Amino acid sequence: MALTIGDLTVSYRQQGRWLDVVREVSLSIQPGQTYGLVGESGSGKTTLALAVMRYLGEHGRIRQGTIELAGLNLLTLDEASLVRARRDLIRLVPQNPQSSLNPSMRIGEQVAETLPGLSESEGKRRVLALLSSVRLPDPERVMQSYPHQLSGGMLQRVMIAMALSGEPALLILDEPTTNLDATTEAAILDLIRDLIRARRTAVLYVSHSLSLISQLCERVAVLYAGELVEDAPVGELFQRPLHPYTQGLLDSVPRIGQNKRAAELRPIPGQIPRAGERPPGCVFAPRCHLANALCEQARPPLDTPGEGRRVRCHRWPEIAAGAVGANQIVERYGFRVHAPTRQRTTHSAPPVVLAVTHLQKRFPVRRTLGEWLNARPPRQIEAVRGVDLEISRGRTLGLVGESGSGKTTVARCIIGLSERSGGEVALLDIPLAPSIAQRAPDLLRRLQMVLQNPDEALNPYLNVGEILGRPLQKLAGYAPADAARGVSRLLEAVKLDPATAARLPGQLSGGEKQRVAIARAFATRPDLILFDEPVSALDMSVQAAILNLIAELQRESRHSVLLISHDLAVVGYLADEVIVMYLGRAMEVARTEDIFTPPHHPYTEALLSAIPVMPRPGESPLTRAQPIHLDGDIPSPMDAPAGCPFHTRCPRSLGEICARQEPPWQVGQNGRRVFCHIPLDDLEKAQRTNSDREPRVDF
Amino acid sequence: MSAHQRLRSLTLMAVVLIALLAGCGAPAASPTTAPAAQRQGALRIAFEIPAKLDPAFASADSEIAILNAIYDYLIDVNTESKIVPRLAAQWTTSADGLTYTFTLASGAAFHDGSPVTAQDVVWTFDRLRDPQLKLPTSSLYENIAGITATGDKVVTFKLKQTNPFFLYDLSDNHALVLKAGTTDAATKFNGSGPFRVVSYSPENRMELAANDKYFIAGKPGLASLTFIFFKDQTASVNALRGGQVDLVMRMPSALFKTLQSEQGLTTVSIPTNGFDEVRLRADRKPGNDPRVVKAFKLATDRKAIFQTVSLGLGAAGRDSPIGPLFKAFYSEETPLPARDPKAAKDLLAQAGYPNGLKLDLHVPDSGDRPDLAVVLKEQWKDAGIDANVVVEPESVYYGNNGWLEVDLGITGWGSRPIPQFYLDVMLVTGAKWNEAHWSDAELDKLAKTAGTTLDEAERAKAYKDIQRILIERGPIIIPYFFAQFGAVKNTFTGFNLNAFAGRTDLAAIRVK
Amino acid sequence: MADEGAPPFLSVLYAQAASAFGTSVVLLFLFVAVFGPLFAPYSPTQQIASEARQPPSPQHWFGADRLGRDVFSRVVYGARDIISLAGLGSLLAVIAGTLFGLISGYRGGLFDELLFRLFDAFLSLPSLLLALLLLGTLGPSRNSVLIVIVFVYTPIVARVVRSVVLGVRHKGFIEAAQMRGEAGWYILFREILPSVLPALAVEAALRFSYAIFLVSSLGFLGVGVQPPNPDWGLMVSEGRNTISLTPWALYFPVGAISLLVIGVNLMADGVRRALQGEA
Ligand code: SF4
Ligand code: SF4
Repeated sequence: MALTIGDLTVSYRQQGRWLDVVREVSLSIQPGQTYGLVGESGSGKTTLALAVMRYLGEHGRIRQGTIELAGLNLLTLDEASLVRARRDLIRLVPQNPQSSLNPSMRIGEQVAETLPGLSESEGKRRVLALLSSVRLPDPERVMQSYPHQLSGGMLQRVMIAMALSGEPALLILDEPTTNLDATTEAAILDLIRDLIRARRTAVLYVSHSLSLISQLCERVAVLYAGELVEDAPVGELFQRPLHPYTQGLLDSVPRIGQNKRAAELRPIPGQIPRAGERPPGCVFAPRCHLANALCEQARPPLDTPGEGRRVRCHRWPEIAAGAVGANQIVERYGFRVHAPTRQRTTHSAPPVVLAVTHLQKRFPVRRTLGEWLNARPPRQIEAVRGVDLEISRGRTLGLVGESGSGKTTVARCIIGLSERSGGEVALLDIPLAPSIAQRAPDLLRRLQMVLQNPDEALNPYLNVGEILGRPLQKLAGYAPADAARGVSRLLEAVKLDPATAARLPGQLSGGEKQRVAIARAFATRPDLILFDEPVSALDMSVQAAILNLIAELQRESRHSVLLISHDLAVVGYLADEVIVMYLGRAMEVARTEDIFTPPHHPYTEALLSAIPVMPRPGESPLTRAQPIHLDGDIPSPMDAPAGCPFHTRCPRSLGEICARQEPPWQVGQNGRRVFCHIPLDDLEKAQRTNSDREPRVDF
Repeated sequence: MSAHQRLRSLTLMAVVLIALLAGCGAPAASPTTAPAAQRQGALRIAFEIPAKLDPAFASADSEIAILNAIYDYLIDVNTESKIVPRLAAQWTTSADGLTYTFTLASGAAFHDGSPVTAQDVVWTFDRLRDPQLKLPTSSLYENIAGITATGDKVVTFKLKQTNPFFLYDLSDNHALVLKAGTTDAATKFNGSGPFRVVSYSPENRMELAANDKYFIAGKPGLASLTFIFFKDQTASVNALRGGQVDLVMRMPSALFKTLQSEQGLTTVSIPTNGFDEVRLRADRKPGNDPRVVKAFKLATDRKAIFQTVSLGLGAAGRDSPIGPLFKAFYSEETPLPARDPKAAKDLLAQAGYPNGLKLDLHVPDSGDRPDLAVVLKEQWKDAGIDANVVVEPESVYYGNNGWLEVDLGITGWGSRPIPQFYLDVMLVTGAKWNEAHWSDAELDKLAKTAGTTLDEAERAKAYKDIQRILIERGPIIIPYFFAQFGAVKNTFTGFNLNAFAGRTDLAAIRVK
Repeated sequence: MADEGAPPFLSVLYAQAASAFGTSVVLLFLFVAVFGPLFAPYSPTQQIASEARQPPSPQHWFGADRLGRDVFSRVVYGARDIISLAGLGSLLAVIAGTLFGLISGYRGGLFDELLFRLFDAFLSLPSLLLALLLLGTLGPSRNSVLIVIVFVYTPIVARVVRSVVLGVRHKGFIEAAQMRGEAGWYILFREILPSVLPALAVEAALRFSYAIFLVSSLGFLGVGVQPPNPDWGLMVSEGRNTISLTPWALYFPVGAISLLVIGVNLMADGVRRALQGEA
């Protein structure tokens, strides 16, 4: 065994009390094995990873248990040996490479530091070799660079290079791709997979995302509220989850191709209990629809339902036998199950609520003093370069793209928080002024936006009643006396207790905050609501509930929605139509039901191929054939490439013509439009023959 | 700095402030005494920082004290205000009182070795009286018709008019004899005095050593002398307490009181002719109304001031600069009216101030003056005078002649050996420092008589009348005469404090 | 703000021994400042010559000074003076600084740039030096001291406020207010100001204690409040000369300054802790 954790309990001191953050967790990793540790925030996964390195700080301590690494008992080591063990045996790839690299040292020097005892030329050779091994383009230049000169993806490659420079017994990956874009993330995962496949290093991969873990790990341990609730080979976990929580996690994020009209998501109600407020019986009991009296009284033991599987649930035999469904939904928490509805068919075409034509946005770049002195004209970032879109009443348009694609800028220009540089925006045929300050109150009322980060969207010093009451009075015409009733109704609409009105945002969970933010936008009964990444800041288990809420509110009030997301699955779930954006331009426009089937725009194709493929039982993600992923980063919008914006990374590029000439809009069935030189028929043919590239929508 | 750090440093500042103030009297090393043949011992004197060390410009005590150690006066004034020989061993006056002849002591020589000659004396006084040079002394000596060297060691002064105080004028603070032709008096210090300068670091200290060839037998008594400069008197006194210096002169009464109880010190307190003068401008409202002047005088309790502000040290004043030390001239004939705030209030009402009077009272921040102002404010309050005390640094109060401008002010006047000085510079019409801007024909006439007559009786009568006039109508209140204070380590002897501290004879001090 | 959950302010301050002590001291001084005239046995300027230099006794609890004034009464009235002067000064500075910081930080642009360059220039001078320079032109008086406090501390407060505003002004809840078409003043005072308040509360307490120190220092240097006002700094400066004659005239005002400054600081610390613990 490379790493053996036995019966480990870790406590943190909070306000004078010692609280168990990780409770009686055991697991072991063999050399060469990749082990995933999945859990939401508050699950204790990061604490567990830190405990392995004994980095707990003065407020944390290991209360009981053992940690053995390569035969060394880490808990009894003296300080000097511990430092040596950390240096020689453990490597960490952190979530945020920027903060782990010294900003004032060249990359080459920093990598060389991990290779002590080499001559200068030998060292340089090894550094170059390492940097090439992580597929960094132009490693010579990277060596000479400072961290700020490299993109996040490149830095993460550098971190991986450093992590693999020695022969560590254990490699810890702590959400290494969380801050990266989808295509970059996929490429990094490819890289890690290839590198560890070639070595005998034990890998502990910590992540909040089951689907990411499924791309890399042979085994997965699921943590919930500090406890290990399920542990199984990855394929079995996905196909036959035995713990209700695991099943809940799998159900609570939309899968590719799943749409709100076909099936509602099944959220896990409630939220993770805090460390001091764990229930006496099963920690999951308050949220578990299978909980019975026993569950609430007795803590379930960690059972072994089969070879290499462990589960901590009283009712696993029934679940395994299919007697009860792990994914059953009950009404207990006020979540209605409703039959999937078909879209209402209307005879006349619904009116257009929002029409955007040739929207442009340029940001001036501050000139440096030198540029200013040389009288260089100020440069500009072209964030949005001519986007057209239209949304009809009651419809949802999804805008999908990676960071830098300009999707958020489009939304901000529509709402008027950024002033557009060109183009027209009209709401219900009324032209909108570029700046929000110049718009009439009635237009403000009709157009609302739910901002990305619920933690920042609510004023922490105003209570929910004040936050919701203000738009009611200001825009919705409520008299002050009626506002309280209006607030209650709003809270009910977003499925919050009306008593929430008295609480401050700091007293709410992330999901509750997002509900309040949605309620605020909804308060003015707008014709159009813009959602900017409505679930990306939320824990998995609450995402489903928010997505359901967005769908349900729209179903009832028939407003239109513009949904901004980087996540094709989320867009696919909520939207009726999708626009794929890249470098400030639309690449493809299609109905949601069409977007997942060929012919795709090559960029859409790449995005789809970056979506994790769920493993089957008995299948190891390490040995599975992998689709080809995009390399490199999105070019800077300051100097966007000529011709097709995607040509620098396009795997299907036709060469010259793509680099020179702007592609035409190829029009296909159902109004599908693709911005590419390749005719749709050719695209479809190529994409259909390459079956490996087709995502398995079925799962 | 984080908010927390700032909190800490602020708290620390508070603590340090306590420690600083509480630790004023920390003891230090005892004085060192270096034995020598006849002259022995080293004396360290605390003084304010001297600014001008050219005798022609020097005026502060510290400056005069230093120069008096380095140079010699032609004739000197002793602690009883009597004229005594210095460079001049003897002198004669002609019958008509217009010719004075001085014979210099033999053996007097400058530190560079050259003897002091009559020519040096002539050169010195010609410089001081040269109207072209516009020195502060030029008007003092404008009565001199001519100075001649009538021998190697004999000098003759001829006057235009008789001057009964001419010898005092000759011993004026500025009148230190320089070597003829000296151009760099402020830096070279080639005097003939009892000490010679060894080193001088401005604003810090000056080291002097005994002049072994000094012409006066038995002087100086010390082997060396060090002036250590302090910014204020409190610091000087603390240095004496702490043993960093041996001698301190000039200090506020309260500080002196505290030294009296200190072990190992000899404290000396002598009355002087110096005083604090409260004056009201008499050339404009409200001081141009005699009733107002009278009201101020009636509202003031001088005895109480003498007791609380001066702590009973020195002498009580009677609104005139002619103090009890001038035994021949001082008079208590005219009674000082008793304090009567009610009457004062009535007078103000008559003068057109039925609701009282509101005035700024400007005070320099030195000595007991701020206390005097505060006590006056309290006393005057009963008479309906609301004085708003404005304390200013001395440099501000005297700077730009602001003190001559303000309506109501308190000015300190140093001790002089003759009363005529005060009349001539501060009371007669148009006098240079007539800060009250007062003009009284009767007083002018009396002052002129007193300043010129050779008849002592006539002069005494004039001074008595002047004292009456001032009590009756002078726009000034002089509540007390200062005491001059000094304190010295009791291992020294021969310390005879002069009313003008700078003129104290340091050469007479020796180790016990 | 909230109807529930937020414990009364004082009880938070009393949760810790140090801030409880500080708060008690401040409350004590506030009490003395407000009700002092009711129990001070003498007027602060009344001179009883016959009782000058009396040591502490039942008649003069803190003794009498060299002019026969009751030191206890002077300390009591001094508390009133210094707390009102430092309090009013720091209050005005906090108000002015908050306005500058809010408007300038929210508006940004050239005005903000120029204003804070200017403030930076002020801040680069030690505040005592700046105070002395100002007093040199204004002349010493109570009002001058007030102006000096406001002038010296406004930039400091403005800076603190502005830094909070800069951190908040692009947050979602501000944009949400803009989406509602809220007026500038509403956004400044209703949306932004509450976020500034915690830092402002600590800063106000700090400014108050610094102002006490500044007033005392100026009094001590003789350029601030003028005699015979019972200014503590002035009393210390005067008492220094008579330290062995009437030490009580020195030690009581020194003790009062130190106690109040330490008290305010400990309380400020408590305020900071309380607000941080909450937010
Ligand atoms: S033990 Fe009970 S409550 Fe816990 S997960 Fe199993 S069924 Fe649910
Ligand atoms: S136009 Fe060319 S480069 Fe662009 S997407 Fe199509 S094939 Fe790729």
